[in-house]
Amino acid sequence: MIGRPTTEQVLLDCCRVLEDDVLPSVADDTMQVRLVMLGKVLRNAAVRAAHEVAWMREETAAMEAYARTVAATTGADGLQTPLAALTTAPHDSLHLADVVEVYGRASDALSAALEAALAAGRQDLVHEGTALLSTRLAHENDVVGGWDSAGR
Amino acid sequence: MPDPTMTPEALERLLASVEPGRRAAVTAFRPITGGYSRLSAVADVRWDDGGTERLVLRGDPPPGDGVFVSDRDAEWRILQALSHARSVPVARPRWYDAAGEFFGTKCIVFDHFTGRSLQDVLRQAGGDPAPGRMFVDTVARIHATPLDALGDAVERPGSWEDYVDGVLELYRAVDREVSESSPVLRYASALLARHRPPPVPFTLVHGDCQPSNVLVADSGEHIVIDWEFAHIGDPREDLGYYSQIPMPPNVYHRDPQSFLARYREQTGLSEEQVNPDTVQYFLVIGMAHLLAQMLRAVDAVARGESRGVMATYLINAVTHQYGLYLELCQRVAA
Repeated sequence: MIGRPTTEQVLLDCCRVLEDDVLPSVADDTMQVRLVMLGKVLRNAAVRAAHEVAWMREETAAMEAYARTVAATTGADGLQTPLAALTTAPHDSLHLADVVEVYGRASDALSAALEAALAAGRQDLVHEGTALLSTRLAHENDVVGGWDSAGR
Repeated sequence: MPDPTMTPEALERLLASVEPGRRAAVTAFRPITGGYSRLSAVADVRWDDGGTERLVLRGDPPPGDGVFVSDRDAEWRILQALSHARSVPVARPRWYDAAGEFFGTKCIVFDHFTGRSLQDVLRQAGGDPAPGRMFVDTVARIHATPLDALGDAVERPGSWEDYVDGVLELYRAVDREVSESSPVLRYASALLARHRPPPVPFTLVHGDCQPSNVLVADSGEHIVIDWEFAHIGDPREDLGYYSQIPMPPNVYHRDPQSFLARYREQTGLSEEQVNPDTVQYFLVIGMAHLLAQMLRAVDAVARGESRGVMATYLINAVTHQYGLYLELCQRVAA
């Protein structure tokens, strides 16, 4: 396959065309707002294309380790099902759909683990879990680069 | 129902039906941009008796299009109730195409109000505090609407505790419903149910409370628009909702203490009930239904459906909300 330009570069180039060539020639206000939104979505997608597999794999490992620690510490029943689902997920594949599938199951395990830590009154585990949420959010923020409510 | 046909011809047909004794011609018609949910347009009408008027049309987009869903029948009922109650100034609702007979979609027709949005006024106000005060007073006035004046136009919740728990449960429900779990929502829902703030009496809640939804005439007269998410609930939902609005200037963030002191003065609520911490808590409550709709739209895209660019664009807003929710949770848990 053709590796360069990267997907990130292709999408950013599309943004440039959209914003520099297409947008100035569009007179309709509604369409202008849609194009601004579309440009933002493409920029988001460019960042994701560049980093999402690495970020999801890193987060997945941390979420899984955390959920197993909470399960072992609290013995919470609610963690058994999500952890079992995570165990059978396609961890080895780097195809995006598989990476997303594993990440989704790990996210479910993290949700259940945080609830279990909270219910058990384990502030140390809650703190550890919210640190993972902060990491996740930092990646999401890197993708979106801020929220400005275009057109309003 | 076929796709919406909010056109001059459709409006003329409606006017011929509701005013059979005279004929109207639509002399100008233009869509309104900037809304994130409904289709809107402004129309100039000339009647055959020489009269003219300007009207606003507000209709539903095609089913499955866009992100936000609301009930036009409910909005029509509440507008009529508010119009009669005169507790809050609203654009006079004139006619309602409830079956989509004329516009191919449910569509409310209002009197046009000539004015600028209060958000525009605030942008140009510089250091003048008057427009900010007008916003606080308008919010307080919405919340002072006697619930009896609404009749059965709006559903009344049961107990305050059940109401707040029900909203928090919505987050868990949507998390189960969509294909990807959101740990921030699950955590916020579980944590905040354990840390409820003191209750206050239910009031009318606007549901999209921001200066962009207040129109101000040069005379200072003003109206409140966009009642599609109005409901009876906790008035602090509107304060929390406004606190997350990103467009500058945000009157609340400019000086939260002054904003809330004026609001308390107008409403008689106490500082224990209304303070920056309770506002932050009610951001989560006030955003619940809209965030749930955003998550459902994003999930629809993940299932291969198209909701227009709005659904993927609003992923930005979802991230923004998650950041605010996590900040609140970290404070509450500390």
